[in-house]
Amino acid sequence: MSAAPSLDHFLDFGITENEWRTVLAEATAFGADDADLYFEHSTATSVGLSDGIVNRAHTSVDLGVGIRVVVGDQVGYAYTEELTLKAMLEAARIAREIARGQGGAAPVPFGVRATHGSDFYPVARHWSDVDVGERVPLVRAWEEAAFTKDARIDKVQVQLADADKYILIVRADGQVIADYRPMTRAGVSCVLVDGDRREAGGYNVAGRSGLDWYTPERQARLVSESVRRASDLLRSGPAPAGEMPVVLAAGSSGILLHEAIGHGMEADFNRKGISIFADRIDSKIAPSEVTIVDDGTLPGARGAINMDDEGNATEKTTLVENGVLRTFLHDRISARHYGVDPTGSGRRESFRHPVLPRMRCTYMENGPHDPGAIISSVERGIYCETFSNGQVAIGAGDFAFFVRQGYLIENGKLTEPIKDVNLIGNGPEVLAAIEMVGNDLEIDEGGWTCGKDGQSVPVSQGMPTVKVGKLSVGGGAR
Amino acid sequence: MSHTTPEDLLALAHSVEKRARELGASEAAVSVSVGSHTTVQRREGKVERATAATTRGLGVSVLVDGRYSSHSTSDLRPEALDRFLDQAVAATRYLEPDPYRGQADGDLCGRGTTDETLDLLDPNLAAHSAEDRGSAAEAIENKLAELGDDNVISAGVYVADGSGTTARVMSNGFADVSRGGWFARGGEMTLSEPGGKRPEASAYYSARHLADLPDSDFIAEEVVRRAAERVGSRSVDSGTYPMILANRATGRILGVLGAPLSGGALHQGRSCLKDKLGEKIGSSKLTLHDDPWRARGLASRPFDGDGLVSKPRTIIDAGVLKQYYIGVYHGRKLDVAPTTGGRSNWIIPPGERSAFEMAKDLPKAIWVDGFMGGNSNSVTGDFSFGIRGKLLEYGEPVQNLSEMNVGGNLLGLLERLAEVGNDPWTYSSMVTPTLVFDDVQFSGL
Repeated sequence: MSAAPSLDHFLDFGITENEWRTVLAEATAFGADDADLYFEHSTATSVGLSDGIVNRAHTSVDLGVGIRVVVGDQVGYAYTEELTLKAMLEAARIAREIARGQGGAAPVPFGVRATHGSDFYPVARHWSDVDVGERVPLVRAWEEAAFTKDARIDKVQVQLADADKYILIVRADGQVIADYRPMTRAGVSCVLVDGDRREAGGYNVAGRSGLDWYTPERQARLVSESVRRASDLLRSGPAPAGEMPVVLAAGSSGILLHEAIGHGMEADFNRKGISIFADRIDSKIAPSEVTIVDDGTLPGARGAINMDDEGNATEKTTLVENGVLRTFLHDRISARHYGVDPTGSGRRESFRHPVLPRMRCTYMENGPHDPGAIISSVERGIYCETFSNGQVAIGAGDFAFFVRQGYLIENGKLTEPIKDVNLIGNGPEVLAAIEMVGNDLEIDEGGWTCGKDGQSVPVSQGMPTVKVGKLSVGGGAR
Repeated sequence: MSHTTPEDLLALAHSVEKRARELGASEAAVSVSVGSHTTVQRREGKVERATAATTRGLGVSVLVDGRYSSHSTSDLRPEALDRFLDQAVAATRYLEPDPYRGQADGDLCGRGTTDETLDLLDPNLAAHSAEDRGSAAEAIENKLAELGDDNVISAGVYVADGSGTTARVMSNGFADVSRGGWFARGGEMTLSEPGGKRPEASAYYSARHLADLPDSDFIAEEVVRRAAERVGSRSVDSGTYPMILANRATGRILGVLGAPLSGGALHQGRSCLKDKLGEKIGSSKLTLHDDPWRARGLASRPFDGDGLVSKPRTIIDAGVLKQYYIGVYHGRKLDVAPTTGGRSNWIIPPGERSAFEMAKDLPKAIWVDGFMGGNSNSVTGDFSFGIRGKLLEYGEPVQNLSEMNVGGNLLGLLERLAEVGNDPWTYSSMVTPTLVFDDVQFSGL
């Protein structure tokens, strides 16, 4: 297993304790309620196959430091990709402008503290120790396996991407914390042709894991799911239109939670009063069988974090407990505003971005129902199985998610496959309209990415089979 | 960083290109960029967030023994750059040869127009100060406060600008520098509504030159007007309605065209526009130009990502598809001459009438001025998007709309383009007027 994340990683870049102290002192010279330096060094590799050739690779190196100065809920932020003392001091002077004349707290002298205690993503080898040559046979094998699955395959594309990210956070309260974060994502995409019909389908898997995460079972599933999805699309028809009952399959249906409630629970929106959930803590918003959590502690999950991006320990945060709204997702700014502990939800895309409260892995806990019974309870509706993307309006609560594939439900049975339809609803109304929760929770293994304020962070999501009484389905006339 | 002038950037790019060849690359293409940007956000009478940075980066693509790879780094320390190039070339050797890779003939590469014509860098940008940004943000905020009523929960303002310089050097002899700047301003507002919903709206504008942005009062008025249009929104009956697609919102629908027009999608069998060159794919009212030479255009450029000379093109002429987007690599794979690998400014020439004049002829129509989620399928052209807008009767608003979707097939939709307005939106790279489509499928209740 890998060594614990080391405070020493940035010594190679000339960043010693002397640099931390000098730069942080400059950043907090006007006082500050909070301040931090966020050093990041990331290396990433992707290898791709098209037309039968492992024909491209991309590698990247990202290095820099973000400097944040906080006064109340005001943030000054600057970053530089040049880790010289001169460039860092210049950035510190820009970031601290927010504090000029505000009389914030004086900086606390710090001692070097230990790293966090968690290790939710141990890997045998860091990705930077894996040659491109070790990735090539995997990519090639997945393509070859795909072609054996279905004679109608016209094209196959494969990609394997991975990254090592080293971070070091130096905080004005004296904490110095490091983390190492691996990430990998593999995708297989197929184009199938049948007569004059043509469809592209794909599947991907992602996690904070190393090379050995690609077990024979996972590799087989990556390929077979990709072909199955493209094949199902070929026989899918258009979705119906209008309001109707919707059954969400276990797994990636967690996208509904992400959009319908997750974003609305991010405390920055609530602090400003602009979320529809802003004044609903401790009120009943869903039936009692609904419990929704946001969890940073699932080992190897894409949304797992040992600590958040301001050095707070991560946790499993209960957003909704037996139908009652419980806790917002906090960063340090909102935690201070509400007088609560941070929930370990302060995240950022990279050193180029200030911290925001964000989701990690959002899912609904199991309920009492058998999934088969949920489907058979619907006379006419749709069953949603795979998804591509979603969006939410935080204040109005309106949200949407795009269903790539699903089925009609007619008289309690899955019938015709359907595809490519947007579903739209209102968060609180849809949560209140949840009628049945299944006992088959599944955390999706796909490579989900959440966007907010121009920042992308990796997330996971999960769901048991769930029935919603009414959602607006954006299909055509049938 | 030490490399700040265009000459310094070019010199670094030349040295990296040379070093890549010394390490065994048969050819290399190198881009070196520097830039800076500053953002100020205000809310509740104070600065909410102020962000600034100077940035730098280097990208290189190499061909080694017929094998292709690309690489990027922000670590430009000389010793790190040497190691980075060593590893880049070494990694490439593990791949398989791709006979279609390779740079374009040097004769095809170069500059299509001058920096003077493009006018992408406002001479006033360098002197634009923190005080200028602060007073611009305060002016918008003050106007929002003046216009807002008791229902305003919160209002925010965004003011930003930035600039960048990129030097590009290729082994085929291409070497040039592109520069540009931008300004962006906008605001957002959240209102309270009986029942607990907090409808929100925003209005953002960007331009190459500060003088091309609307003034503070106009921005604030648009934010307030758009927020008021979200109050009391609901869905109406599913059915077919004429769609009036607001000039600022066309990007999401026209964007569906982007993927199937690309050489990659054509070659991979993922395009609903395959074999349609020269065919009618839309109404004769539809003409679409790609203009990389548009003065102060947000996507204007002297050359494209392959180094190819930029030039204006007509993509769709009176409904007939005239061009695909084909870069050098996919041109070789498809055995056709390359055009350009990606779009620049999209221009739909304006028509005669205003949005209101077009709307008042229609007994009932859905005005769409924003979207909520949704996606499209480039293989089939099918799309389904959530919408924000309002129901109009003879041009008069009768109901603000939400929780509705618009769906259909791209080709069917383009055929039903009925009229093009006279009001091109100039604050994006999609410079398009308001568009009216007949018989569009909306789903709601």
